[in-house]
Amino acid sequence: MGPYQHIVIGGSAGSFQSITQILAELPKNTGLSFSLVLHRLKHVRSGFVEALSLRSTLPVIEPEDKQYIRPNTVYLTPANYHLYIELGNYFSLSTEESVNHSRPSIDITFSSAAYSYKEKLVGILLSGANRDGAMGMKDIKEAGGFTIVQDPDECQVKTMTSAAIETTQIDKILKIEEIIRFISQMK
Amino acid sequence: MVTPNEIKLFIESMKKVSTYDFSDYSEKSFTRRIEKILSDYKLTLPGLITKIQKESDFREKIVNDITVNTTELFRDPGVWQSIKYRLLPKIIDKDEINIWHAGCSTGQEIYSMAILLNEYGILERTNIFATDLNTEVINAAKTGKYVYRFNIEYLENFKQVVRQNPYNFDEYNDVPFEKYMKIDTQNDSIEMLPFLRNNVYFKRHDLVHENNVFYRKFDIILCRNVMIYFNTKLQNRLFSLFNDSLVKKGHLVLGLHETILGSEALKYIKYGNFYIKKSI
Repeated sequence: MGPYQHIVIGGSAGSFQSITQILAELPKNTGLSFSLVLHRLKHVRSGFVEALSLRSTLPVIEPEDKQYIRPNTVYLTPANYHLYIELGNYFSLSTEESVNHSRPSIDITFSSAAYSYKEKLVGILLSGANRDGAMGMKDIKEAGGFTIVQDPDECQVKTMTSAAIETTQIDKILKIEEIIRFISQMK
Repeated sequence: MVTPNEIKLFIESMKKVSTYDFSDYSEKSFTRRIEKILSDYKLTLPGLITKIQKESDFREKIVNDITVNTTELFRDPGVWQSIKYRLLPKIIDKDEINIWHAGCSTGQEIYSMAILLNEYGILERTNIFATDLNTEVINAAKTGKYVYRFNIEYLENFKQVVRQNPYNFDEYNDVPFEKYMKIDTQNDSIEMLPFLRNNVYFKRHDLVHENNVFYRKFDIILCRNVMIYFNTKLQNRLFSLFNDSLVKKGHLVLGLHETILGSEALKYIKYGNFYIKKSI
């Protein structure tokens, strides 16, 4: 396994297409695990994981509370829950109040992942319409992890990525094609 | 940011002055709760500790603040459809039915269950036990009064669960909301009709160290999205306690993404959304 262990990806309005594109080109057998935190409509509670699975090279599952994180697997935060990554490489779910008007909140997952994985974490933030994720990216950067933001010029809605760029010295600002290339070169 | 050592210090201080033991709570969400409390009350961690040591009323308030109380009427309609069509029909002929809502929060699921029991005509034969650690939410559950604008979208769940039958699309029971609740949009309230709680016994109860205090076994135990705030050690204690507290083939109903991961799973059969106690 390379220097990285886990990749967290956050997205909101305008990110669905990009997510499916990324999943379709994920490298197999790198040993990496992935967590997706995507804002979605409150009442769309099922069918999402199936939609994302269609083109994904790796299995996409919604984690159970306290489930261990396995390599070469994509975990999708369940609707209406926050997802924490605990020390010891497992998930905890929570139904606490919304953060940044969002449940799941990207900040919650990103910050807890930053604490658990430190320099072994990559955080990727995509198109979105609020400021969720900016604090999480800051925490990832401060814990020694690597931060990537989708080029705001390419985002359908650039509020989220711009907020992250204002808040933190982001390591790389990339277009989706470049993000895919970056991930596929990781080992 | 509150450090793990500060969290430990808080937990130890709480243990010294009360019966509360948060050692086996999930680390990350517990830390977040404490951070929220510090920011809401504008306190530092040492300040918080001093206050819980000196002021017992404040201590109780903090315990209430630590608990998470998200709930809805018929939360996860699919689960309630299973309760209606797969679970309740199995116990409908019993002379007496016992149900425990462990971690009942503000009570929406107590009323959801009572409505279904009433639809089957078995509400009067059912004893419902509702417990929570948080005294404020128990009081809210007792009144059954909810803010309309926060619950309006859950009336959609009512339609799905009470009126429609997913197993038979020809069936439609036109149950009016008024049969079970008083909706007052002017005063922004939904009030559950009092007859629904005739057989509900409310009691404060701490799942961390208390056992089954009701001197009976239960046909159904609901404990939904409560154990996600506990580590696997405490979860296993509760899966064992619930197993001992269920009648043979009794049903445990958990949250949508809660699973028995350890060896306690051997004592149950997983059936759709339920865990059924094995009869050994």
